[in-house]
Amino acid sequence: MIEKGKISGLQMAILLYPTVVATALLILPATTGQFAKQDMWLSPIWASLFGYLAVMIAYRLHHYFPQETFVQYSEKIVGKFPGKLLGFGFLFFILHTNGMVLRDYGEFVTGNFLKQTPLIVMIMSMAFVCALAVRGGLEVIARSSQIFLPVFIVLFFLIILLLIPALNPKNMFPVMDEGITRSIRGAFVPSLWFSELFLISFLLPYLHEKEKGLKWAVVTTAFIMITLVTTNLFTLLLFGDIASSFTYPVMDAARYISIADFMQHVEAIVMAIWVTGMFIKICIFYYVVVIGTAQWLRLSDYRPIVFPIGFVLVSVSMWSASNLQELTHFTRTSWTFYAGLFLIVIPIVLLLIAKVRHKFPKKQSH
Amino acid sequence: MMWRIRRKKDKKKKQSALKQSKQEQDPLYTHITENENQFRQIYEDCSDVILHPFSIGGKHQALLIYIDGLSNTEEIDDSVLSPLMTATVNDGEQQVSTLIKNTVAVSDTKEVHTFSDCIQAISTGKPVILADNSQTGFSLGLSKWEKRSVESPEAEKVVRGPREGFVETLTVNTSMLRRKIRSPKLKMQSMEIGRYTKTNVMITYVDGLVDKTLVEEVLNRLNRIDIDGVLESGVIEEFIEDDPHSPFPQTLATERPDIVTSNLLDGRVAILIDGTPFSLIVPTTLYSLLQAGEDYYRRYLMATAIRWLRYLFLVISLLLPSLYVAVLTYHQEMLPTSLLISMAAAREQIPFPALVEVLMMEITFEALREAGVRLPNQVGSAVSIVGALVIGEAAVSAGIVSAPMVIVVAITGIASFTIPRYSAATAIRMLRFPMILLAGTLGLLGIMLGIIMIVVHLATLRSFGVPYLSPMAPMQFNEMKDTLVRAPWWKLNKRPRLTGESNKYRQSSGQKPSPIRGKE
Repeated sequence: MIEKGKISGLQMAILLYPTVVATALLILPATTGQFAKQDMWLSPIWASLFGYLAVMIAYRLHHYFPQETFVQYSEKIVGKFPGKLLGFGFLFFILHTNGMVLRDYGEFVTGNFLKQTPLIVMIMSMAFVCALAVRGGLEVIARSSQIFLPVFIVLFFLIILLLIPALNPKNMFPVMDEGITRSIRGAFVPSLWFSELFLISFLLPYLHEKEKGLKWAVVTTAFIMITLVTTNLFTLLLFGDIASSFTYPVMDAARYISIADFMQHVEAIVMAIWVTGMFIKICIFYYVVVIGTAQWLRLSDYRPIVFPIGFVLVSVSMWSASNLQELTHFTRTSWTFYAGLFLIVIPIVLLLIAKVRHKFPKKQSH
Repeated sequence: MMWRIRRKKDKKKKQSALKQSKQEQDPLYTHITENENQFRQIYEDCSDVILHPFSIGGKHQALLIYIDGLSNTEEIDDSVLSPLMTATVNDGEQQVSTLIKNTVAVSDTKEVHTFSDCIQAISTGKPVILADNSQTGFSLGLSKWEKRSVESPEAEKVVRGPREGFVETLTVNTSMLRRKIRSPKLKMQSMEIGRYTKTNVMITYVDGLVDKTLVEEVLNRLNRIDIDGVLESGVIEEFIEDDPHSPFPQTLATERPDIVTSNLLDGRVAILIDGTPFSLIVPTTLYSLLQAGEDYYRRYLMATAIRWLRYLFLVISLLLPSLYVAVLTYHQEMLPTSLLISMAAAREQIPFPALVEVLMMEITFEALREAGVRLPNQVGSAVSIVGALVIGEAAVSAGIVSAPMVIVVAITGIASFTIPRYSAATAIRMLRFPMILLAGTLGLLGIMLGIIMIVVHLATLRSFGVPYLSPMAPMQFNEMKDTLVRAPWWKLNKRPRLTGESNKYRQSSGQKPSPIRGKE
């Protein structure tokens, strides 16, 4: 195996949590609120079903090919050439998505905090830091996130705690006055973020205790769901109808915090800590691309391709959209089908084929 | 690979060349005159080496060789020379060596057969006796030289705890350990490092607690060292580290026997080196570098509180100047209005941007500190006057730096002194400067990127196979009670998992004291 490190179930959970939460925390209320209005806190619950689905598919596939990642077993399931093609498509999708995430981060930071710093500086510095972690391997990413995640979570709770005085429960009502359809529509984009959990396909082979993999993945999905429901609920209670008109509602919520004239305008700290979440997310995507490419090309080591892929990543990120509006539009429209195809449809098809092949093993004795 | 093999060959060649020139491997000659000539040639121009020819009982020619100042001359006269010279001798070759054995009243007497044995014995202060018509000589354990007496360690002071520290003499140090661990399980393997210095290095561990592969790894890494001389443990440290380019120390250097003992009992290995009071403990982790020995002697609530204080000040010593720069340059809105106004008023006169101001003051402070370490005591007070008055007071009133800046530098300075291990403190001191530059270019975000880089680096580091950030990452819940807090002693039942795995429990559980238990 290329990756020599091993991670524990807890470490996998710690890697997965920010992978979904980091971006969602920032733009989820805006994305869901657009459709779901005051029911937006329900949307993550529906969306999480896709998370469970993705986890289940990945786990079932892992069950058939316990030592291999998506890129490797797709070749075995549908044959060498189509498998390579699928692997390439998947890797390209992850690279592209990672580029978009990186761009999101860059746009957010330059738009809100460092208005005069060029976007490329932000993107390159982040890509460089991530490259260092990816070069260290899965264990290093896992350990770094173990250091950062507690801070991330404490921050999250602190914001919520400090916002409580400003909340207005009336903003929630009426609950489901048009049935659940609205909240389900709002769940559309987040459900694809949840589908990103399919990336555990690249983590499961490196687990210490394989049997605990599913348990931890399901627990993580539940925790992500709870976090996102809380986020949406609090933004809703704080802003009411206008929640969806902010680009970054959570950051605006942080601006509300003011305690004893001393703790105020903490959004810069919020940003700084949120960056750690983004770091883990980008690292995981980056790592998947790197290890997937190494496996796709059958390299013996993945480290030499880390920096070249980082370069491609920066380019993709710069080219993926010309501005934030275009990026957001793309995320909410085309990307959903794009992601649905690679994260849900193709894995399901692969799983079905694998199942059939497993049931009727034919001419395996070559 | 090829390159490595070639280097190994080169090394062997060099070593053999060195040995041949001294004819060290040759056995001793039978005739005393030949031996004497050979030794006179070896010790040519060594006026401190004394070759003393005498005769045993007036019949056998003999030669005594020792180094002046390394051996106990009185003992040599009383229990070696005078009994031998007055002894009554019968004829026969075999009898000379038996005669010496029986007559010399020295407990540590060993036979030597080659020149190299002799040289080794002589240079460690053991006199060597050679007799005519015999290829066997004797080394006598009569070494004695001036040594520093045991004092309280200068670099690691404690309020409560043992006051003794290691000294420069290896045997004194090993005896201190032996006095603390009175068990034959305490093993000490000795080896020599250094082509010329032949420094004695002792690998110490407790058998049954230590992982055998760790001992092997330590021995392997030490065996690879091929240098002229070992003057301090720092030299060894640089040869056995996992990541030689890291700013963080991957061994724990201490001069306190109690710290070494507690680490040995946790299943670690200590390397003691002759000629320096600093011993190395491997493997080490970041958290053990942040713990003082005293943590374990204080009441646990206090120890926990102080540990947290130390963690806080670790962050402050790394980040405070860069936070100051970031907030003043990019995030002024974070400051409360009144504070912002007073800061702005203080900085009104200052001609420099915050970044330059901070760099200037920090570098000056580092220089002051470095000067303070080297200065003789008599002029030490001059530095503090210059530092406190000129740089602090005068610079502010001259309008070169602002008063808040001086406060920031002072707090940072104090913070870096709270880190108990000097080597860890210097790593943080050094990393402060890139952090300041990052803060000056990218604000809080730059600081965050810097922190991420440091954490990634720490996550990559290993010290003899043990992850540097353990037990935090990878997380060991059980060890949190000796990391985040210092749990009371009756709760610390298990040894650290990564070093003490072969023998998990250090004490029996359920020893929490209570009045009821007392009456049982």
